[in-house]
Amino acid sequence: MAHRPSPTRTEPQVKFVGYLAEFDDPHRLVAACDQVRQAGYRQIDAHTPFPVHGIDPALGIRRTRLPFIVLAVGLGALAVGILLQWYANATDDIRPFPGYKFLISGKPTWSLPANIPVAFEITVLFSAFATFFGMWGLNKLPQFSNPLFRIPRFKRATSDRFFLMISADDPIFDATQTRQQLERFGALNVERVDHDQSDAELPRFLKPLAWCLASIAILIPTAVYRSQAMTNEAPRLHFNPDMDWQDKSKPQTVSPALAGAEGSTLFADGRVMRPDVPGTVALGELRLSDPLFRGYEQGTAVEPGATDEEGNPLEPEWVTAFPSDVDDAGDPVLEVNEAMMARGQRQYGIYCAPCHGYAGYGDGLVSRRGLDLTVQGLAAWNQAKSLHDPMVVDQAVGKIFDTISNGRNTMGPYRSQITVEDRWAIVLYVKALQATQERTAAATAPAN
Amino acid sequence: MSTPARNTPSSERLTLGPLRAPLMFGGLGVGIVGLASAYFLAGDLRSFLSAYLVAFCFIVTISLGGLFWVTIMHLTRAGWGVCVRRLAEILAMATFPCLILFLPILLPVMTGSSASIYDWVDLKNLPERLQGFGDLLAHKEPFLNGPFFAIRALVYFAVWGGCAAFFLRGSRSQDESGDKSISLRMQAFSAPAMLLFAATLVFASFDWGMSLEPIFFSTIYPVYWFAGAAMSSICTMTLISFLLQRSGRLTDDITTEHYHDLGKLMFGFVFFWGYIAFSQYLLIWYANLPEETFWFEYRQQGGWATGSIILIVVHLALPFLAIMPRTLRRNKAYMAMAAIFLLGAHWYDHFWLIMPTTFRPTFGVTPADILCLVGVIGFYASAFALIAGDRKLIPAGDPRLYESLSYHNA
Repeated sequence: MAHRPSPTRTEPQVKFVGYLAEFDDPHRLVAACDQVRQAGYRQIDAHTPFPVHGIDPALGIRRTRLPFIVLAVGLGALAVGILLQWYANATDDIRPFPGYKFLISGKPTWSLPANIPVAFEITVLFSAFATFFGMWGLNKLPQFSNPLFRIPRFKRATSDRFFLMISADDPIFDATQTRQQLERFGALNVERVDHDQSDAELPRFLKPLAWCLASIAILIPTAVYRSQAMTNEAPRLHFNPDMDWQDKSKPQTVSPALAGAEGSTLFADGRVMRPDVPGTVALGELRLSDPLFRGYEQGTAVEPGATDEEGNPLEPEWVTAFPSDVDDAGDPVLEVNEAMMARGQRQYGIYCAPCHGYAGYGDGLVSRRGLDLTVQGLAAWNQAKSLHDPMVVDQAVGKIFDTISNGRNTMGPYRSQITVEDRWAIVLYVKALQATQERTAAATAPAN
Repeated sequence: MSTPARNTPSSERLTLGPLRAPLMFGGLGVGIVGLASAYFLAGDLRSFLSAYLVAFCFIVTISLGGLFWVTIMHLTRAGWGVCVRRLAEILAMATFPCLILFLPILLPVMTGSSASIYDWVDLKNLPERLQGFGDLLAHKEPFLNGPFFAIRALVYFAVWGGCAAFFLRGSRSQDESGDKSISLRMQAFSAPAMLLFAATLVFASFDWGMSLEPIFFSTIYPVYWFAGAAMSSICTMTLISFLLQRSGRLTDDITTEHYHDLGKLMFGFVFFWGYIAFSQYLLIWYANLPEETFWFEYRQQGGWATGSIILIVVHLALPFLAIMPRTLRRNKAYMAMAAIFLLGAHWYDHFWLIMPTTFRPTFGVTPADILCLVGVIGFYASAFALIAGDRKLIPAGDPRLYESLSYHNA
């Protein structure tokens, strides 16, 4: 250690790095490495033109920890990849940054098969990063310079010479003894390596140059941003004309002309919104069951306006009992119980009572007002039918259902406003209403 | 420190030697007994043939994998694997005896017998699940018919047998002469051989596997077959190396380094299989087209959902973790165990591919399945001994043998 040059302010600052021993044969290098290691040196390294078998154990290099780093990073990335997708797709209650739990085409927001590719790619990407940058870190890279590059002989490390480096930082390093040992181990030549640290500063021109480049680099984005965001008489700049003008259709527009094809449009009929293919049925709208959806026995439909020989209108066979259809899970669609009755009462109050009245005598407020206006000659109103009219009382449940669905005489159809289940519930309530009134009449008859 | 490099293989124990006769006749005996008992246990011909097809696909993909490894070693001028290349060459050559094993599958197709396992054989008696697809199958008939099926099979076997014979004969003549130009010739042929291999493997997988469900189509199906073939043949080479070395053959020539390399490829192709299998599943799952999804539907009902999860575990998850550590890959006995396990998984993979649709609506493995496998392996071992003969089990005259013998993993 005594031989280290003492740095002064005037002289260049030089650090003694170590000794570089040169060999002309890989086997001799491996043998020397072995001996150096057995002599107790630990801060040693070898430089060879090609990978030399056995150099790792000779230098005492342990197996790299890199695989474990990669494994840990890879598993972490897997977890992050899955969590990221879960956060972005399947949550919207993490405040203040909720995810994007959007229902798109009825797809589930969280489904593992769809998440595997992204999780896999993120795992691979970060494993590759961990491998690459982990290798950098373990090798103390990047190093822009190394004192060895200043040794002219060292250039042959890439062609035909084999070098062994012992660092001066090694605890048992001794300037004279180490050199003698290296020569004894068969080095052709032992060279002292110094590191001149006086030129470790960056060149002075770099900083202004970096500023210049940075200024130039933001010019183009600035121009793009300006031209796209400012108010200007001139038409907007289009950087992606094929994205800005696409051969595509938007709802409620006419069919666009095809780019480059004079006079031709995307669709021959000029319409953008395509009509359904004949026979198309919307999902869940197949409605095969006649009793449940139309109120008559399966297959007894009649053509609208069809009549028998005497000119009386034909009617389908109305069902006389509530349909016993079951849903996909095997549960009955309609269950005649108190809940259905309550539902029917509620829906009757909403949809029917305004005209037919709460008791069903056709004396709802709307109906009464309409009659008043008719009397004054201001409207033409037919009184709403009394549900206790014997003609209505005798009707099958299917026919009442049909009346609610499609209307009758001046009454309009309610199929688009009231669901099938609710219509049947109303039928149930109407039947109950009729029963109460009959019983009232029967109960009061003897008293009269 | 490195072990001293050698440039010659140890001169003795390079052949099967005393192992040959027991292997040849024992294998034959096991084969006959295994298949005969499987036939009686299976009851009817059709269910026997389905189990037999699983075993046949298992063995023929191992052979094809052998051909693939031989070809790609020449194509890439690989040095590391020369020591085990002869084993792959023999596996590849065993495609020829596979032609005989193929006859029980081919004959019912040719005669149009109702015992045939392929439903497209008789368009007039379609099973219930294919009712209504008659037009589609009639459209496919120019391709899917008995005579053309047989012609194609002959072409496949001719290509495989021809390529395998070329490589094996070239390599063996090099054993004596040490002529380096033979290596160059084999290298030149390896590129067209690879193309031929790819084309025939694709259509063989369509014919023998995918046409069991003649209305199903998946263009990644052949890649799926290939992934299993490459993996299972690496496993077979590992296992044969280990068994030979335990019996005192090739003791010094196949080293830990070669096991390590085989282990790396095994690991790689375990994951490649998973990647391909998942690709096939994901595309079908995502597109959600009824003409494709039904194939997976069959594999998710009647207990097959469990069967499918077992496949993922034994063919991907478990081996992926079990052969990942380097230290374990350098353990010969461990790798031999892994090879046995993965070969089992490979058999199960074909079981899963073939069985669910018609033959085994509810999940379960029967003794007949296992006996079929044992029988076919017996025949295969016999064929291996027959092809290996008294010749050397490593390419002793290959110019890259030195590189292989002295190979070290960094």
